[in-house]
Amino acid sequence: MSAESGPRSFLDVGVLSRLAAMPLFARRPMQGNVSGRHASPHRGASVEFAEYRKYVPGDDLRRLDWRAYGRSDRFYVKEFEADTNLRCCLVLDTSGSMGFGSTGVTKIEYARRVAGTLAYLASQQGDAVGLACVAGGVVQNLPPKRNAAHLRLALDILERTQPRGETQLAAVLHELAETVRQRALIVILSDLFIEPSILRSSFQHLRFRHHDVAVFHLLDPQELAFNFRRPMRFLDMEGGAAIFAEPNDIADRYDRALQQYLVDLRQVMLESGVDYQRVSIDESYEQVLARFLVGRAQAKGLR
Amino acid sequence: MSFLQPWLLLGLPLVALPLIIHLINQRRFQTIHWAAMMFLLAAHRMARGYSRLRQWLIMLFRMLAIAGLLFAASRPLASGWLGLAAGGKADTTIILLDRSPSMQERSAGTGDSKLETGRKQLVQTLETLGSGRWVLIESTTREPRELEAPAALLDLPEAGPASAPADLPLMLQSAYDYIAANRAGRTEVWICSDLRDNDWTPESGRWSTLRDAFLEFPQGVRFHLLAYPQTAPTNVSIRVTDVRREITLEGADLLVSLRLARQGGAGDEKTTVPVQFEIEGARSVASFELTGSLIEFKDHRIPLDRTRERGWGRVSIPADANPADDDFYFVFDNPPPRRTVVVADDPQAVHPLELAASIAPERGMECTAEVVVEDQLSTVAWDQISLLLWQAPLPTGEAAELVRAFVDRGGQVIFLPTQNPGEGELFGMRWQTWTTGREPVPVENWRSDADVLARTLSGAALPVGQLEIRQYCGLSGECTPLATLQGGAPLLARAPTRRGAVYFWATTPSARDSSLATEGVVLYACVQRALAAGAAVIGKARQIDAGGAIEEGTTDWIRLSENSESLSTEAGFQRGAYSSRDRLLAVNRPSAEDEGRVLADARVGTLFRGLEFARVDGQAGDANSLIQEIWRIFLLSMLLALLVEAALCLPRIGRTAGAAA
Repeated sequence: MSAESGPRSFLDVGVLSRLAAMPLFARRPMQGNVSGRHASPHRGASVEFAEYRKYVPGDDLRRLDWRAYGRSDRFYVKEFEADTNLRCCLVLDTSGSMGFGSTGVTKIEYARRVAGTLAYLASQQGDAVGLACVAGGVVQNLPPKRNAAHLRLALDILERTQPRGETQLAAVLHELAETVRQRALIVILSDLFIEPSILRSSFQHLRFRHHDVAVFHLLDPQELAFNFRRPMRFLDMEGGAAIFAEPNDIADRYDRALQQYLVDLRQVMLESGVDYQRVSIDESYEQVLARFLVGRAQAKGLR
Repeated sequence: MSFLQPWLLLGLPLVALPLIIHLINQRRFQTIHWAAMMFLLAAHRMARGYSRLRQWLIMLFRMLAIAGLLFAASRPLASGWLGLAAGGKADTTIILLDRSPSMQERSAGTGDSKLETGRKQLVQTLETLGSGRWVLIESTTREPRELEAPAALLDLPEAGPASAPADLPLMLQSAYDYIAANRAGRTEVWICSDLRDNDWTPESGRWSTLRDAFLEFPQGVRFHLLAYPQTAPTNVSIRVTDVRREITLEGADLLVSLRLARQGGAGDEKTTVPVQFEIEGARSVASFELTGSLIEFKDHRIPLDRTRERGWGRVSIPADANPADDDFYFVFDNPPPRRTVVVADDPQAVHPLELAASIAPERGMECTAEVVVEDQLSTVAWDQISLLLWQAPLPTGEAAELVRAFVDRGGQVIFLPTQNPGEGELFGMRWQTWTTGREPVPVENWRSDADVLARTLSGAALPVGQLEIRQYCGLSGECTPLATLQGGAPLLARAPTRRGAVYFWATTPSARDSSLATEGVVLYACVQRALAAGAAVIGKARQIDAGGAIEEGTTDWIRLSENSESLSTEAGFQRGAYSSRDRLLAVNRPSAEDEGRVLADARVGTLFRGLEFARVDGQAGDANSLIQEIWRIFLLSMLLALLVEAALCLPRIGRTAGAAA
């Protein structure tokens, strides 16, 4: 961790140092104004050969490959990939439901750790980092930049943000798809308590804009295993509605609804090409991030 | 429904316990802020139908389990097939036991009679129910007898079969007197009977009086009727209608007249019935053909030793459904002279009366009539008189006392009006004024089924309708008309008496009054029948209906016939031949016992209208207990309810696996 960022309660130096060895890769070519380790979609003079193509009138004659001409008596233009930096945009769901946590850690705290670590790692490898806190709308929006002060600002926002209000994640993602102009890695941290069919269009919108989308789906273990024993009154953390339920009566139906939701959500993620990570917040976030980073590195190798 | 521990039912409100716990639980819920509300809402929507139903079903089965436990602990009772009919433990339980001959009808299966079945079922029932005190009132003496335990019914000779009929109103009266005298608390009255019409006398006015009397008890009296109304359709009964000894050239014959009766259902089927005659131990058998339901055989001759002038005998038929009517005892002796005393102030009436009384109906029978004036009554040997014919103003004073004593002994009296009847009153009857018409007043109707105007043995009716009644004297008082004139005035009436018989003719044999003398058959039959009844009382060979000689006492009776296990004190209620001093007595069931009419169910209900009454019908030989404790059923119900409740409470299979996925 750099001296400028200062100590943060949600950042673990040990975790940062161990994860620093794993670069954050984008699964798709990125566009940037500085050179970096991420492949750029633009072709031009660079260090890494891309492909040959036939010469067409108007091409820069300096890019003709004379050796190829000598061997084949045809004109080819040699193209190279232009390497660029990554624009990483972290989208943090700060709706009321993110304040739930049955294991001593709330979903927002967990998301804060994941987002902070990712922001730091990206910044350290020279990538631009942005942060959007969303609930009913975009609560805080920090566009991606790559300087240390910007990182500190992002971490400040992460530290201050509190879960509040209803979530309108789908609408906000549409909005972000329009506002983030250049290709970026969009990392969403949310419990995604939205109908999967509604989310589908949002993710497709992001993909249409050529963004690389990764989702950390944060769920509390108690939300996965509805194991209450006593009669309970459940108060909605977002709307304030209340439901009285006898757990024995309702548990099996709850599980059915949850499983159906998870199946549908996974299907949406697959169809939308989203890098989907379902996370139970009793897991170590270091392992979750390590799995994520390794997965992305492997995806880059296959590209 | 009735229970042995009904007070435990006070705990029935505990059935609401699961509901109360449910309501309390709802108030003790834990509140949690919950994020995954969308799944909860979906689950809640899904659970709205079945889950709510399941919740209510669980509660229902919990309530049923508690109710089952409470009912089982209360020890509910059930009777075999009619539902539940008993009450809780009573302070006093009175058993009215009908011992009449019809109660000895047996079942084809076990061979137990209605009486034996009833006693067994009563013992089982009453031992189950329990009581502070058990009292037996049986149908012969009707004396309340306290029992140590219901099981005594099985051994007590006084609870065994008898030949005497039952009188249910009198038995109930006895029960009423016992309750009133002993100030019994809550009382149960158990009646065991076969509902024979002659035992219950449903038309009697005593029933309404009894109902009112029982209703006045503040502690409440509950009646249970254990009824055995079924009758055996092929049962045949035998009865001796007349016995007389006749001297013949060879010696002497005993002429026995029989009546064989079959209960309904056999139709015109012809049956040969072997009848065994037993005279002082000597037996002979003769067969008789029985067609239809009733047949009479007149004067079956049995040779006798000339020297045997008196003795006893028995007729019997093979055993059938009811052994109590398969034999009949008789005694015979030289008939007593039929002596009549005539008191008359109309010379025209005296002669016909004297003739009617003194002409013997059969050869060898001595009939005499003595005309006396009222002042000579005290000199008459009343113990040798069978009939008193009185055509004078009704006697008063000493004469009236003599007449009353004569009637109480069993004597017969026929009163006829005089021209100046006077104001006298006797046996509740009083003469009114004479009525004279231009034309004779026709006889409108008369009773030909019983009493002195009954049909002859051949079935022919007496020519009562042919009588010419020229003038008649009115009658007032409570009486039973045996013949009435046009317009409803009685021609012949019978006054109510405890013993003996008192008849009132509304006219005289005088020619100016009627044709009783000129068409003398009716007068003769009437006088001779009354005379025969009076002679039967003073004769030394008497036929007695069982239970009919109780006033005379039976302490000096000696049983002549064998095979009886009854107590000597019950001799008057058990059929058989007896001797008492110089008399021979044959005790048999009354003729009404052979009729077999059973009280209709609706009529029984009417008799107990307004009272707490429950009826259970049984069958002879029925070994089933009348009342059973059915707590096991409720306990099983409770266990079943708990099992169902547990099954409903189980979580659905696969829920855990689904949650972990």
